Amino acid sequence: MTASTRPGTRSARPQVTRPSWWRAYWAMLLLLLALIALPFVLGLLEGATVGDVLANEAGRSKFMQGLLIEVFLLGLYALSYDLILGVTGLLSFGHAMFFAVGAYTTGILLKSAGWPFGVTVVAVIVAGVLQALLFGVVLLRVSGITFALVTLGLASVFEILIKSREFADFTGADVGLQGIPKPDFLNPSAERLRLYFIILAVTVLVYLFYRRFVNSPPGRVCIAIRENEDRARMLGYNTFRFKLLALIIAGITAAVAGMFYAIYNPIVSPEVTGLGYTVDALLIILIGGMGTLSGALIGAGVFRLLDFYLLKWFGENAAFLLGAIYVALVIFVPYGIVGTWQRRSVAWRRAWRARSGKQ
Amino acid sequence: MSNLLEVRGIDTFIGQFHILEEVSLTVPEGAIVALLGRNGAGKTTTLKSILGLTPPRSGQVIFAGEEIQGLPSYEIAAMGVGYVPEHRAIFRDLSVYENLKLAERKKSDLARKEAMIFELFPDLKRLIKLGGANLSGGQQQMLALARALVPDNRLLLIDEPTEGLAPVIIEAMMEAIRRLAATTTILLVEQNFLVAGQLAESYVIVDEGRVVQTGVMADLLDDDAAIRRYLGAG
Repeated sequence: MTASTRPGTRSARPQVTRPSWWRAYWAMLLLLLALIALPFVLGLLEGATVGDVLANEAGRSKFMQGLLIEVFLLGLYALSYDLILGVTGLLSFGHAMFFAVGAYTTGILLKSAGWPFGVTVVAVIVAGVLQALLFGVVLLRVSGITFALVTLGLASVFEILIKSREFADFTGADVGLQGIPKPDFLNPSAERLRLYFIILAVTVLVYLFYRRFVNSPPGRVCIAIRENEDRARMLGYNTFRFKLLALIIAGITAAVAGMFYAIYNPIVSPEVTGLGYTVDALLIILIGGMGTLSGALIGAGVFRLLDFYLLKWFGENAAFLLGAIYVALVIFVPYGIVGTWQRRSVAWRRAWRARSGKQ
Repeated sequence: MSNLLEVRGIDTFIGQFHILEEVSLTVPEGAIVALLGRNGAGKTTTLKSILGLTPPRSGQVIFAGEEIQGLPSYEIAAMGVGYVPEHRAIFRDLSVYENLKLAERKKSDLARKEAMIFELFPDLKRLIKLGGANLSGGQQQMLALARALVPDNRLLLIDEPTEGLAPVIIEAMMEAIRRLAATTTILLVEQNFLVAGQLAESYVIVDEGRVVQTGVMADLLDDDAAIRRYLGAG
């Protein structure tokens, strides 16, 4: 029975692009289990008890939780960039703003306005939608490289505002936004383990939502737009709506990542408003595999951990090594880690079947 | 016979270039009309002007009694105008099934049409799960045409369906277009005069962006001078 005989049902999707959940998720599932166990394993290796880990005693476990929180947040941020660039094909040079708006909204509302955390979360999501609409207005007029440049312009205006002296009372200008009152239950030091698991859970849920979206009819239209927007239009799709939808989802995701960034870090650095931070997102999805979604998360891990450990082990030479590794990755892993893996595994499976004589 | 499509004196520019000058043509309901001409004569631009992909600067495009020039392409498509672009225009990153599914305008479109589509193109049924990039050229062209069959289109604009295909596949495409013509009106751009001559009842020849000759296909087949002059074929 071919898949097409039951259109409309979910199981009717063809297997090549939508394998069974185990084949699609086994690697991510193992990784997730490892990430759940990691804080405890690290603690036990160090001679601490599970109780110590649960009590957020200082040590290697707690330190690693912090580093991984940074990875998760970078992963969320890169995931949102992958949705608009890798899946939908929109090149934005202003993506750092999507993240920074979340971070600064959180910081300013908690600190200067004294809003409760719950309301702040809602405000961050609203801000995420609004900035996506702002980019959407641009998208109505221009596309391609012009869109990239206009978004760069918008993000630069935002960066200038954040760093300007006039708003220093709210934003901390180029020093950064400090002294944000954190909600007690998410305190990055006293409740590190809880924050770790909450951000891990958010990352997993957002990732699953993204997977679901890309496999849904609107997600398929986004892929079609990436390939050829005119063709998608000629099938009767108002492509602007789908691009706007991708922007809104990405805008909310990046803003929420920025919110957690403001909660986890002692200071919101104005660096997150700059072009360099957009380039980080681009680098991460290039490392992980553009358009693969899971590549954004894997890439974030590689990006942050390489950065950290090279700096720790090689000090000043780290930047040079990092550059060399990125060049090597681009040459030897041209479709990113996940993208290359997917292509290879298809070839391997085919070779395996040929060997076992099944055709 | 009423006209399903009327193009009245459209002028189309691409950048500063005046591509179409005062192009007019009519496509009667239920007919297959061939749009002929050399490379670069303006055939594809005429289709794109009708579809709003390169909107005409002046003139009118009337589909089923309604003026559609200036409407966005997706609205024109939603009125029941299907387009099969040249060069096997499928989505290579999506599977055969997803390509067909994407062409639905109503949820049940594919379910209703798949028997007919798979009868015309049995290959597609076999390859339903395969990614578009893995199809051969002929299979991609079949898929491009099949995609236009999924929704209920009143008018199909087909651009160079047999370009670069093997003779046996050309036969299959011609058969598909003939079957289609029973329910759909077709404006067909075709370089291969042998194909166009067999399929279409009437023709429009464009040359250097102008309509230079129209008439009944049977007459054109005998008009060697016009064929040599405008189509460069013998």
